[in-house]
Amino acid sequence: MIRWLARLRSIDRRWLYLATAIALAIPFIVGGRIPMPPTEPFMVTRRLYEAIESCPPNKVVLIDSSWDMGSEAENCAQLECVVRHLCRRRVRFVVVSVGVTQLGPEFAQRVIKKIAKEAGCTYGTDWVNLGFVQAGSDIKVVIENLCRDIHATRPIDVEETPVAKLDLMREVRSIRDVHLVLSITYSPTPDWISLVKGQFGTPVAFGCMTIMSPYYHTFIESGQLCGMLIGNWGAAEYEGLTRQPGKGTELIAFATYGNCMILAAILLGNLGLWAARRSRRQAG
Amino acid sequence: MTATTLATCVGALVTLLVFSYLVKDNLLYRLALQAALGAAVGTGVFIAWRDVLRPMWWQPIQGAFQGKRPWTDALWLVALIPGSLWYFQLSKKWFWLSTLITGLFIGVSAGLAFKSQILLILPQIGASLKPINPFAGPGGLTWASVFDCLNHLVFLVGLVTTLLYFFFSLKSETPLVRHSVRIGRIMIMICLGAMFGSTVMTRMAYLLDRLRFLHDSVRTWLFPG
Repeated sequence: MIRWLARLRSIDRRWLYLATAIALAIPFIVGGRIPMPPTEPFMVTRRLYEAIESCPPNKVVLIDSSWDMGSEAENCAQLECVVRHLCRRRVRFVVVSVGVTQLGPEFAQRVIKKIAKEAGCTYGTDWVNLGFVQAGSDIKVVIENLCRDIHATRPIDVEETPVAKLDLMREVRSIRDVHLVLSITYSPTPDWISLVKGQFGTPVAFGCMTIMSPYYHTFIESGQLCGMLIGNWGAAEYEGLTRQPGKGTELIAFATYGNCMILAAILLGNLGLWAARRSRRQAG
Repeated sequence: MTATTLATCVGALVTLLVFSYLVKDNLLYRLALQAALGAAVGTGVFIAWRDVLRPMWWQPIQGAFQGKRPWTDALWLVALIPGSLWYFQLSKKWFWLSTLITGLFIGVSAGLAFKSQILLILPQIGASLKPINPFAGPGGLTWASVFDCLNHLVFLVGLVTTLLYFFFSLKSETPLVRHSVRIGRIMIMICLGAMFGSTVMTRMAYLLDRLRFLHDSVRTWLFPG
């Protein structure tokens, strides 16, 4: 028995891959859902929610949506939940993709168009997508230019309409007209913090992949970041706060099967290690 | 078969080819990898022209020559001069010309990086100075102030011991330094553990996203409309 258990230590990793894939595929095949009990959201999620709730009517939220298929797995749900909240609260917003990926505007447009249509928000009046802003080798220059003069930095929107002709953009010229900057991407650049918050004093929030979140926690503690969405978990919490369950809630419930699998693998691996040590002791 | 269905089928096939690497490195996986790389570069070049160069550089110049825009827009042509300097890196004889533009860019980047780092790091240093006296709060000694100060103390111990761990010039013979360095190492291990947990969660999200895509693809294929 002990010898058999010791074999668990050297299990072929491909079996683990297969087991994880099967565990994650269960909800798709069986269609079962794990009920998600309402929990108190993490303070970083709540702070972002509160920042958006406190947006005055004469200001907008600037969203840097710089993600594509590479980080769609988590960033998509984050953008969805925030845009749904903005549309419901009738908070006007401007979307821009700064430097990271040229496909950013298309992915953002696809998500926002659908939600805005459902909520009855009009393009040009309630929201605008400025498209991709080439940052080249230094993103700092673009961020600073956007803060000083949005019209000069991006004179046309994603549909090549001159920005000056859009109703919303007539009221939004620089960072002074922005209540909050939210950067949703794989790993948002800290230059948003140093330039937007540090130089101009406008609050900044991030929506990042879970893998990058430990790095940004220091900026929460120091008050440099006003809030953060961490992966699908953050999106699910945000959906809980807005009482609009969506993609984040669905994905985090599905991921529970995978998490159980990982916990089982850790347990079995440690059992294997214990058994191997014990059998060595018995042999010695 | 519509273009969307075809694109979905190709996407599903490429996903399966990439997953085949989990079994063994194989030719089909490498083929998918090269195709993805080629497609990304091709798309990038096209979008850079469509979204950036054409509307923001070419069209103003074209408009200026056609008299539809102010003549000053034709000055965008001048941008070709510093832009072309980059290509002199390919010539041994004229390499020095490329150093002009390289130097300019390094200068601008260094200046901005300096400002950015000051604005990023200084608030961090300020935020590291936290009170550890529970009596010093506005409401005097309360349970909340005691917990806050304990929290700050843990932070302070973590900060100092982690920094000590990287002081390689410090002799670790004295018990105080040796134990502090050990605590610092434990703190780093806890941090790395949190990062590893986050990595697992992200990888899981990636897999879940692809499985969902495959599931939706098969459903669309089996039950179109």
